[in-house]
Amino acid sequence: MKASTPESSTACRLEETAREQGLHLTRRSLLATGALLGASAALFSKVDRAHALLANIANAPGGYPLARAENVIYSVCLQCHTACPIKVKILDGVAVKIDGNPYSAQNMIPNLPQDTPIEVAARIDAKLCPKGQAGIQSLYDPYRLVKVLKRKGPRGSNQWETIPFDRAIDEIVNGGRLFAHIGEDRHVPGLKDLYALKDAKVAKAMAADAKAVAKGKMSVAAFKAKHRANLGALIDPDHPDLGPKNNQFVMMCGRIEHGRKELAKRWLKGSFGSVNFYEHTTICEQSHHIAYNEATRQYKKGKWGKGKHHMKPDAANSEFVIYFGTGFVEANFGPPAMAEKVTDGLASGRLKVAVVDPRMSKSAAKAWKWLPIKPGTDAALALAMIQWMIRHKRYDQAYLQAANKAAAKAAGESTWSNATHLVRIEDDGPGKLLRATDIGMGGDEFVVVKNGKPAAVGKEPVTGDLEYAGEIKGVKVKTAFTILKEEAESRSMHEWSEICGIPVADIEAVAREFTSHGKKAGAEMYRGPVQHTNGYYNGQAIIALNVLIGNIDHKGGMTTGGGHWHEDGSKLKKPFNMKKMHPGKLHAFGHKLSREKSAYEKSTLFEGYPAKRPWYPFTGNLYQEIIPSAADRYPYGCQALWLHKGTPGFATPAGQTALEILADPAIIPLVFATDIVVGETSMYADYIFPDTAIWERWGTPHTTPDVPQRASKIRQPTVEPMTEVVKVFGEKQHCSWEAVLLAISERLGLPGTGKDGFGPGLDFTTREDFFLKFVANLAWGDKEGQAVPDASAAELKTFMAARRHFSKVTFDPKRWQRAAGKANWPKVVTILNRGGRWEDWNRKFAATDGFVVHKYKKGMNLYAEKVAAQRHSMTGKRFSGVAVYEPAKDAAGREVKDRGFPLRLITYKEILGGQSRTLPNNYWLSAILPENFILINAETAAQYGFKDGDKARLVSATNPTGEWRLPNRDNVPMVGRIKTVEGMRPGVVAVSWHFGHWGYGASDTKIDGRMIKGDPRRRTGLCPNAAMRVDPVVGNACMTDPIGGSSSFYDTDVKLVKA
Amino acid sequence: MAINEIVRMHEDLERALAKPAAKRSWVMVIDTRKCVGDHACTVSCMAENVCPPGTSFRRVFETEYNDYPGVDRFFMPTNCQHCERPPCAKAANNVAAGAVSQRPDGIVVFDTKVLAAKPAAGRAAAKACPYTAIVADEGGYYTEGTPKLEPYETRTIFELDRTLSRRQTKGAVRKCTFCAHRLDAGMLPACVTTCIGRAMYFGDANDPTSLVSELLAKNATWQIKANLKTRPRVHYIGFAGRADMATATATSCMECHQ
Repeated sequence: MKASTPESSTACRLEETAREQGLHLTRRSLLATGALLGASAALFSKVDRAHALLANIANAPGGYPLARAENVIYSVCLQCHTACPIKVKILDGVAVKIDGNPYSAQNMIPNLPQDTPIEVAARIDAKLCPKGQAGIQSLYDPYRLVKVLKRKGPRGSNQWETIPFDRAIDEIVNGGRLFAHIGEDRHVPGLKDLYALKDAKVAKAMAADAKAVAKGKMSVAAFKAKHRANLGALIDPDHPDLGPKNNQFVMMCGRIEHGRKELAKRWLKGSFGSVNFYEHTTICEQSHHIAYNEATRQYKKGKWGKGKHHMKPDAANSEFVIYFGTGFVEANFGPPAMAEKVTDGLASGRLKVAVVDPRMSKSAAKAWKWLPIKPGTDAALALAMIQWMIRHKRYDQAYLQAANKAAAKAAGESTWSNATHLVRIEDDGPGKLLRATDIGMGGDEFVVVKNGKPAAVGKEPVTGDLEYAGEIKGVKVKTAFTILKEEAESRSMHEWSEICGIPVADIEAVAREFTSHGKKAGAEMYRGPVQHTNGYYNGQAIIALNVLIGNIDHKGGMTTGGGHWHEDGSKLKKPFNMKKMHPGKLHAFGHKLSREKSAYEKSTLFEGYPAKRPWYPFTGNLYQEIIPSAADRYPYGCQALWLHKGTPGFATPAGQTALEILADPAIIPLVFATDIVVGETSMYADYIFPDTAIWERWGTPHTTPDVPQRASKIRQPTVEPMTEVVKVFGEKQHCSWEAVLLAISERLGLPGTGKDGFGPGLDFTTREDFFLKFVANLAWGDKEGQAVPDASAAELKTFMAARRHFSKVTFDPKRWQRAAGKANWPKVVTILNRGGRWEDWNRKFAATDGFVVHKYKKGMNLYAEKVAAQRHSMTGKRFSGVAVYEPAKDAAGREVKDRGFPLRLITYKEILGGQSRTLPNNYWLSAILPENFILINAETAAQYGFKDGDKARLVSATNPTGEWRLPNRDNVPMVGRIKTVEGMRPGVVAVSWHFGHWGYGASDTKIDGRMIKGDPRRRTGLCPNAAMRVDPVVGNACMTDPIGGSSSFYDTDVKLVKA
Repeated sequence: MAINEIVRMHEDLERALAKPAAKRSWVMVIDTRKCVGDHACTVSCMAENVCPPGTSFRRVFETEYNDYPGVDRFFMPTNCQHCERPPCAKAANNVAAGAVSQRPDGIVVFDTKVLAAKPAAGRAAAKACPYTAIVADEGGYYTEGTPKLEPYETRTIFELDRTLSRRQTKGAVRKCTFCAHRLDAGMLPACVTTCIGRAMYFGDANDPTSLVSELLAKNATWQIKANLKTRPRVHYIGFAGRADMATATATSCMECHQ
């Protein structure tokens, strides 16, 4: 990198930028360079003058201050999880304008080279969606909490008193009769009572033996004898695999992101010793991740390892993309990165898209074909496409025949599949993959059939026959491809069409288009197909489409994206190898409260089928199961719950069931929250600690695979946090999630925090002690030679100037330098000045053919063996290894049908709305869309006697009154205005997910005896979640995908009642 | 996709700024095929210009066309068209001389001081505008009446070559300035840089090598209500329908907008 000085000419920089990035030079550049040198020299001198002029304007008194680097701090948005790198412009200490970060490959294509001077980048704004721009209004929300609240009425009553931070921490740590003064005569256990197992060595030994007990390799009696001194620390000594009492402290971290996520896990598991850390993923689109995970697990040394969770089409080079239940304009992951790649292709004629969605989304508005599918039948549509593709031989035979890496290489591919691998056909259907040892011809290798003869899949190139069904040495087998083909042919095209509601002609047209562009086509999905009880299979069917054309790693096909440098220092092992920097680290163990990542059969609770509640061996972050499981005390109860950045009682389908549980202090005796406002669920907490908003804090969010370049983003404070200043470990800091975590540590003496928390001489007493080590790691990269250059003196100066509005509590250069390591500091400044680091766009990224730059390079499982081998914990029946179509089912595996409810309910997100924190609380956004509607096809509305603008109530089988029944407060009717449109499938109603709040400033709040009026603008519209079906088997939660774990958002039938 | 159009437009901008203002001719080109109706521009404008509550100088209209299942959905971004013959100027200046003027680079300028003093001039301008691009600042703040009047609403506003506050704009009419305060500082208009579909282009029509000149030469473009002969500086590209957007650049939008 060249020395970057503010004096270097803007114009020259831009010329270089164009040359370095442009590659395909602009026509003007071609003219200038191609014609004669004199012309371009003249041009340079002109733009030099332009630059001089610019400098004058920008620096002149009264000039535009937001054009200057000293008024810019780069950070990362979180108005949605796309987490766009942002440029926050600051005027007199106030964040007044947020734009996209031009260094970010997510917001500018191609992004500015990393050595672009920050003075130049300050003037170049990159794109950002409206939510991100309205972040200013989430930051400066008049309902932000700044002091600690303790409830002064029953849970949910929204009556509070402010109490000192230290007292609140004392109370949650020590417990006691905390609510006696409001008439609740009960003892609340404190966290000190749950911090039962403290000895790292004992914990490690118990963990190993508890695992052995669960697997049946050690008897309970033997365990008890061996660990008799410590049995008191366990939840239940007769079931040691439930783990220690520490597990009864549960952290529901909701939309926590990288950075805080690593800290939360480090602290809860390694410092406190509880396994119960959760994100919110199953109310988002988890089954999609799990479908990818099972499709990409690699088999090594007799075990299936971890897979990849996510792929995206390389839309910048695609010729055709079919979007299942998502798009490139709203929601997904996410619009600023995705939209331009598609619109560029549409306008140039490079690209066509099809959108599968019952609602004509803004993406569908740009589609060559809009396929208004019946909700939840995506697998039927995909299997119909597969049937057509196989019948017409429109798949990549050579790709599919390659059975291993070596064969893929020989075929010029970077990935391969198990399409040709043989599957054992058991009495109850396809089971495990055949191993060479099963037929006496080797070891653990998989087996294919080549020209009718079995062959073991070793390291040498092996290709196999795609189709085979027969018997080898007495073992019935079929290829994975044959099993998929049989599934696709299990119904006629007409039958599939009947199921999914898409005419055969359209299915065929889309299948033809998908297979007419070689590798430059992709099948993309996100939330729509997977938030169903059959979500995993829908996802798997869509992935199968990609495998059949072998598009993975190809330009224009599917990609795992550019990835990131590792902030935990685990690759380079310096400057801070954070995983190793945890003195006295505890070993958390035991089944999780949600029974995720555990197989029922491998637990001491196994007593035949059905289990008391389902177990979820394939998935994690099972948000909707946590609170209801605590109510059933299965596998154990929860004594203390920390709610963070999420609203399980609102955002979860049938969320009201969680509120009923939370309202009863006998079930979870201690509930505390970190929140920026009083939210719908934090309203049911005993204490709320004010958190910093995302523009006030740190983080290292990861990047969507849609971005082809390597990217590491840094969220950093841009303005002084508005929460109260507290003292923890003797250090003044703003009240925040981190301050609460550290204060609990201080009281309990938890390992890995406080003095020498990271090792000798490396204290962990403020948030910067943690996050600036992450930043330092990113500055050095994953390998030697990847370090960023040191910041110049001028850049260091601008760095300081840009932080002149901070108090010393927030920005103390000496404390920051100490945390980051003094030697790393100039590099840390370089990437803080850019909000992260990105790979520069170069010739390889610009190439439109061949392979993507960052490849996946591994195998794809058309057949998911692990899934096929596992039994459903309620029915005892094995799952399917290939995608199948199933109707919506309850926890017992029975089809759900509600008679008398003729309309299917779906939700969606407007581009103006994310989760709770956008519409309608951001007033710029609600100025454009003040309320949401019940969207319905005009003809369907007429059929049921409704017209545009009528008010209607949503009613379902498990919510016959059509309202949010809110314990200890007024109910909220699920009533909205009908909007009749043509762009909706008849028989389906759609309600967008942003409105219908009672928290977040929507209702009156009593604090210290003073009533704070809610804002009626924040109460508009409706939230449809309470209509979503309660599972008839578990009774206190929504329905759930037994494999992927996704909560069922779109399987509920409703009716509309005039209101 | 390999050309950074934002960077190219910055180059164009710097070339234009090197010339005397009278030799520049700012135009905006909007490719409706690439407009995804996301309102990034609308909100960017609200934040950049501190628009009066409930307004934005940039609006994006949308409509459905035809019946299920053959339905189309259109998005239509509009703002002040910076007419070469602005009807608002004549109307306003009849009431208060100097209320509306034109910069040598073509930007139609509202004098807030004059307009705040004589609201009738603003009303006349708004009434005369065929593009409903003018908004009245009736005072008030989004966060008025909530627990806290927030500082992003009371901050200094940068408009053209002056600074204002909402106290000063109360009673006046306001509109898009093509973000002249940004242009003069070497920055593109806020709606242009933030467009996530890259539908928005801006530059100097007098420079034949600029991206906007290239777009105008290459595409069939149209203007809203061209028949009024106001000569808008905002030009539109496309589109007729979803089926084949690359070739469908007809003027179907004009069915409604003429």
